[in-house]
Amino acid sequence: MEQQLYGIFLYGVFLLTMGGIYAVLTLGLNIQWGFTGLFNAGVAGFFAIGAYTTAIVTSAASERHLGGYGLPVAAGLVAAMVASAVIAWGVGRICIRLRADYLAIATLGIAEIFRLVLKNEVWATNGPRGISLIPKPFEHLPEPWNQVGMLLLVFAVVAVLYVLLERARRSPWGRVMAAIRENEAAARAAGKDVERLRIEAFVLGAALMGLGGALMAHHIKFIEPNAAEPVSATFLVWVMLVIGGAANNRGAVFGAILIWTIWSTAEILSARLPPEWAVKSAYLRIFLVGLALQIILQRFPGGIFRERRFRTAPSSSTREQPP
Amino acid sequence: MKKTMIAAAAAAAALALNGAVATAGEVKVGSAAAVTGPIAELVVAIVNARNLAATHVNEQGGLLGGDTYTLVPGDSQCDPKAAVDAGAKLVNVEQVVAIIGANCSGATNGMAQSVSIPAGVVMLSDTATAPSISELDDNDLVFRVATSDDLHGRTLAQRAWDHGYRKLAVTYATDDYNSGFAEVFAAAFTALGGTITGNEAHEPNKASYRAELATLAGAEPDGLVLFAYYGSSGITILRNSLENALFGKFLGADGMMDNSVIEQIGADNLRGNIMLSQPASATGSPPYEAFAAAFEATGNAPDAPFVAHSYDVSFLAALAIEKAGSADRGAISAALREVANAPGTVILPGEWAKAKAAIAAGEDINYEGASGPIEFDEKGDVTGTYTLNGVGDDGTWTPVM
Repeated sequence: MEQQLYGIFLYGVFLLTMGGIYAVLTLGLNIQWGFTGLFNAGVAGFFAIGAYTTAIVTSAASERHLGGYGLPVAAGLVAAMVASAVIAWGVGRICIRLRADYLAIATLGIAEIFRLVLKNEVWATNGPRGISLIPKPFEHLPEPWNQVGMLLLVFAVVAVLYVLLERARRSPWGRVMAAIRENEAAARAAGKDVERLRIEAFVLGAALMGLGGALMAHHIKFIEPNAAEPVSATFLVWVMLVIGGAANNRGAVFGAILIWTIWSTAEILSARLPPEWAVKSAYLRIFLVGLALQIILQRFPGGIFRERRFRTAPSSSTREQPP
Repeated sequence: MKKTMIAAAAAAAALALNGAVATAGEVKVGSAAAVTGPIAELVVAIVNARNLAATHVNEQGGLLGGDTYTLVPGDSQCDPKAAVDAGAKLVNVEQVVAIIGANCSGATNGMAQSVSIPAGVVMLSDTATAPSISELDDNDLVFRVATSDDLHGRTLAQRAWDHGYRKLAVTYATDDYNSGFAEVFAAAFTALGGTITGNEAHEPNKASYRAELATLAGAEPDGLVLFAYYGSSGITILRNSLENALFGKFLGADGMMDNSVIEQIGADNLRGNIMLSQPASATGSPPYEAFAAAFEATGNAPDAPFVAHSYDVSFLAALAIEKAGSADRGAISAALREVANAPGTVILPGEWAKAKAAIAAGEDINYEGASGPIEFDEKGDVTGTYTLNGVGDDGTWTPVM
């Protein structure tokens, strides 16, 4: 029984680590979609860039891929953010002026381009076989401290990001972003450089997505193009943000952990089914997740945590809910 | 509404916790498989083969003191993220003694490095073929029955050369298995003195590959080497090649070994024109035939890719637990070598009662698997031999030469 409880504790650590990594991705998307209204359907692309960047700069030398720099994990995380940000800046310069759904199509395509480049540039990335033996922080500590250490690192990152983004949201910068999202023409008329601000939000969000990808690469110690598939690296993040509540940082974090918990624990239930169901039960799990999403969205149409609007004057008129 | 939801959640939690506590008389082994995801269609047969081994064990006396051998499913989705999550559940919540799986090399690699090695759980893979798995710092915890692509690729290149091929075009699906295979094959074939006229990746699940094939056929090679899974691109490539008279001769590997290839393309179109390399389980050898007869009796095709390997890992895990004498994680690794490697009383697939009696009598045993003799080296790998298969007169895959 003790062993059992210890096991459940360790699983909880794994669950929250993954949930925390998804929270980093969701906070990144929240800057883009929640604050500024940029429809980025290419989360997986920036996730992959971050993951591969840190894998290359921190892993030991191998003849299979570029690398051997052996930098510490912290340097890898920074490099991942910088690489994602630089590439996002280039992408932003080209397509940030596209309106919502056109931007979605462009970013979706760009993410697929990144994934295919990573899959085919075998000299740098070892192609579809991926990069193995990525160092993991605290991995030399005895169990459970190795896993707990990773969890604390992820939580520390989430906490720092949350505090910074809450400050950003309340700052003049955050208010301009909301203005751009709600009424771009008005923001422009007020003298704001809308293009530059949209790029800023895009780059900042992408940097966080790169950070999330880098944390994931260190957590699973292995990265391959399959890990940047749109379903689990883009759409799942969107679901987390929409359920948690767009434009609300608390909602982004809560949504990520809630949806990941549902996604992961559903398998514990489906694995209870008789062995003849072994194959079918995996699909039943996906159905369970879909059902949970339906129930939550029925009950909380605007997300569990709605956007908290700031008021400059008590007389400010009632505003419509964000889409 | 709220009350029903809470009640449902409570019931679900109770069910989960109740089931998670190992019931007396049950030994759990994790069965991680890519049940959903890009190779889902191959995995159905793989899971059936693993379950067949568990059925054999349970019908012939069960494990240890008559305990039930239970395979707990985990969906690795062919994605390392999902595999780590599935592995964490198997190791911690289900408290499995060992894990078999997790199918795709990337998923296996992630699960091994992040979950099973730190927890000290043996992982026994049936299908992971990437050479990088051999390099893991694994405390002797990662084993595999599938042979590394390095060996298989070199062997196929030699066979192609022996059959008189000198100029070949290569196309491979962009997954870890097929791309790695193509890389080794191309290097080995060139080293033998052959010419690779073109080496092109293709994305699986496209409606047509005419453009890629036309480019490859332009250099007029002797044939096409096709590294693909039959369902996601292999059959389409064969059909496009034959319909447009781009290629007439094909070489390939076990990802293409399925009767649906012959059914959909036609035995007469393929006879004498296609050769597929497969680990020599040895169609024809007593261990393979013992497995094939039992697997066919359950309504499955024994020549589907990797099913023989899947049966073997499931059976071997049970043998190792029996040999260790307890469901203790730490004892499995050493026991696994003892039951798989020579010398000892030879055990064939399905012979659980015989194995149990031999172990009880203190004899050393040597499992001869459906997929080959299975002798683990110090890295936990097996070396294998391979057969070439063509379409026989009866319209099924038959060994050639």
